[in-house]
Amino acid sequence: MRMNPVYRREMMVSARSFRLALVMLVFNGILAMVALLNMYSTLARVRVTAEIQYSSFLQLYLFVATLEFVMVIFIMPALTAGSISGERERRTLELMLTTQLTPAQIVRGKLMSSCSTMALLIISSFPVLAMVFIYGGVTVGDMALLLLCYMISALFVGSLGICCSAIFKRSTLSTVAAYLATALITIGTYGINWLSGYVGRTATATYAGTAAVAYAGGVDAGMFAGSGRLGVLLLVNPITTFLSALPRVSGQVATFSGMESLRTREATVLLPSLPDSWVGCSMALQAGFALLCIFVAVRVLDPERKQIR
Amino acid sequence: MMLKIHGLKKNYGNYRALAGLDLEIAEGTLYGLIGPNGAGKTTTIRIITGLLAPDDGTVHIAGIDARKRSRQIRSYIGYVPDYFGIYDNLKVWEYMEFFAACYGLEGLSARKRGLTLLEQVGLDGREDSYVDSLSRGMQQRLCLARALLHDPPLLVMDEPTAGLDPHTRLEFREIVRELNEQGKTILISSHLLSDLSELCTDIGIIDEGRMLLHGSVEELVNQVRTARPLVITFCDDPAAALPLLKDHPLVRTISMREREIMVGFTGSARQESELLAALTAQGIAVRGFMREPGSLEAVFMQLTKHDEEKVVLAYEDESGL
Repeated sequence: MRMNPVYRREMMVSARSFRLALVMLVFNGILAMVALLNMYSTLARVRVTAEIQYSSFLQLYLFVATLEFVMVIFIMPALTAGSISGERERRTLELMLTTQLTPAQIVRGKLMSSCSTMALLIISSFPVLAMVFIYGGVTVGDMALLLLCYMISALFVGSLGICCSAIFKRSTLSTVAAYLATALITIGTYGINWLSGYVGRTATATYAGTAAVAYAGGVDAGMFAGSGRLGVLLLVNPITTFLSALPRVSGQVATFSGMESLRTREATVLLPSLPDSWVGCSMALQAGFALLCIFVAVRVLDPERKQIR
Repeated sequence: MMLKIHGLKKNYGNYRALAGLDLEIAEGTLYGLIGPNGAGKTTTIRIITGLLAPDDGTVHIAGIDARKRSRQIRSYIGYVPDYFGIYDNLKVWEYMEFFAACYGLEGLSARKRGLTLLEQVGLDGREDSYVDSLSRGMQQRLCLARALLHDPPLLVMDEPTAGLDPHTRLEFREIVRELNEQGKTILISSHLLSDLSELCTDIGIIDEGRMLLHGSVEELVNQVRTARPLVITFCDDPAAALPLLKDHPLVRTISMREREIMVGFTGSARQESELLAALTAQGIAVRGFMREPGSLEAVFMQLTKHDEEKVVLAYEDESGL
C-alpha cells in the first residue's frame, strides 16, 4: 500500500528536527523525575516505619499516568492546531490541492503524523510507568487499556485541533481555538454538569423541603453530581474517561464522583447500563466525534465547496 | 482545443470578479492573459486549476469538463502561482519527491523525473541544497520544475516573474519558450506586458471580468490602430493645413506642436492616403505622414480605459476645436 505523501514528509521532517528529540527529553524527563521522587519518598517512609505499603506504588502509577494524560491533552492541540493553517500560511496548501491528493488525504496525513508523534511520546514513557511492575499490581492488560485511553483522547483532541486548523487561516488563531475547544470539552462539560446539579439541588431543597435527595446510588453527589440527563455530556470528556478507567487499572473500586451524577434517577432511567459501560461508551463516542471533526476539516478544505483563503 | 472557458461567472459577495468570461486556447499556444488589477486574471486561473468553484459557466480542459471531473483534470494541469510555495526544511530533491508522490509517482521513476526536470530548469547540482537556501529565481525555477513533474500538457502560470530581477526574468522566459517549443500549451498571466508581447503567440486582454480582446499581438495592435493618432509633419507652418483638417468628417481631434500635427483620425488606410493626397493637392508640403507606433501597452491602456484621457482628450484640449 502506498504511504500517504503528507505523512511521509511530516515524519521525515520531524525525525530530522531537533524539536522532537527535545520534546521527548522534556516529556520523559518530567515523568521520570516525578516518578523517581515519588518512589524515593515512598522508600524513605519504609525506612522510618519499617512497613511496605504496596498501595503507595499503585498510587505512584496513578500519579504518573495522570501526569502523562494531562501532558497528552496539553501537547496534542499544539501538534495539530498549526498543521493545516501552517500549510496555508506557507501557501503550500493550494499547491497540494492542485495535485492528485484529496483533501481527505491531506487531513489524514496531518493527523496521522501528529498521532504518531504522540504515540512515540507515550510509548517512550512506558518504561517509567513500568517501574510499578517491580512491585506488581498492574497487568499488561491494564496498561493496554491505559494506552487505548491515551490514544483515543489524543485522537479526539488532535482531530479538534485539525478541525480548528482547517477552519482558521492563522496558526495563532487556530491554536487558541483548539485550546478553547479542548477546555470546553474538559472543563466546560464539568462546569455545565456542576451548574446543572447545583440548580437541581437548590430547587429540590426549596420545593421538597429536604436535602435528602434520592440518588439511586445512595452516595454523596459531590461537586459534579446531580445533573441528571446533562451528566451524559461527560461522555465526551476525555478526563472523565481516563479517571473512570484508572481505578480499574489500579484494582480499586470506582470512586470517581462524576460517575455518581449518572446514577441519579433521571440518568438511570435514560440509560440504565451507562455507568457500567462508561469507558467503552465514552471512547466510542469520542472516536465518533473525532471522525466528525475530520469530516468537517475535509469539507472545509474541499475547493469545490469553499474558497481556499 | 486545450482550454475552453464559456460564460464564467464568479462573485465575491457583492463584488463581481468574473462576468461571463469566454476564453479559448488551442493546443501548443503560448497564451498571455493581461488585465489591470482586479480584472479577474487570478480568479480565472484559480477556477481553471480547480482551487475555486465558479458560480456559473463551464471550463473544459482537453475536452473534459473540469467541474464534473475535477480530479482527473489535475493530471492535465501544471500550476505555477505568483508565490513560491516551498518548504524551507526540505532539500531540493526531497521537495521534488514529495510533489511527485502527490502526483502518484514513486520510487526510481520519480527520482529520475525530478532530476531531469531540475536539469531542464538549470538546478542540477543543487539537489542536496535546502530549498530556503536558494535564491528567488532558483526557487521560482524549482516551482516550475515541480509543476512539470507529472508532464502536464497545460501549464498555467499566474504572474510567475513577479518580483524577479530582469536577468532572472529573461532566463525564466527562455525556459518557458523552450517548454512551449516542446509542445506544452501555456497560459501565463502577467503585468509585465513587454514580457508577454515578446513571449506569447496569443494575447487576451480582460477587464472587469470580461474578455475585451484576444488574438495575436499584431492582430490586437491592428484592431485598435484607429485609436492611434496620425502624426503629420510639415515642411512649413502647419497652420495652412488646419482648415482642411477641421472640415474633414473623419478627423476627431487635432493637436498642433511646432511643425507637427497629431490628428485623431478614424478612417481606414485608404482614407489616410486620400487625406495625404488632399493635403498635397492644396500645395501643403508634407514631410512625414504616419500613425503613431502601436504597442501592446497602448492597446492595453486604451482597452482598459486607463489611457483614454492621455491619448485622446489631451489633444482635444490643445486642438482649440
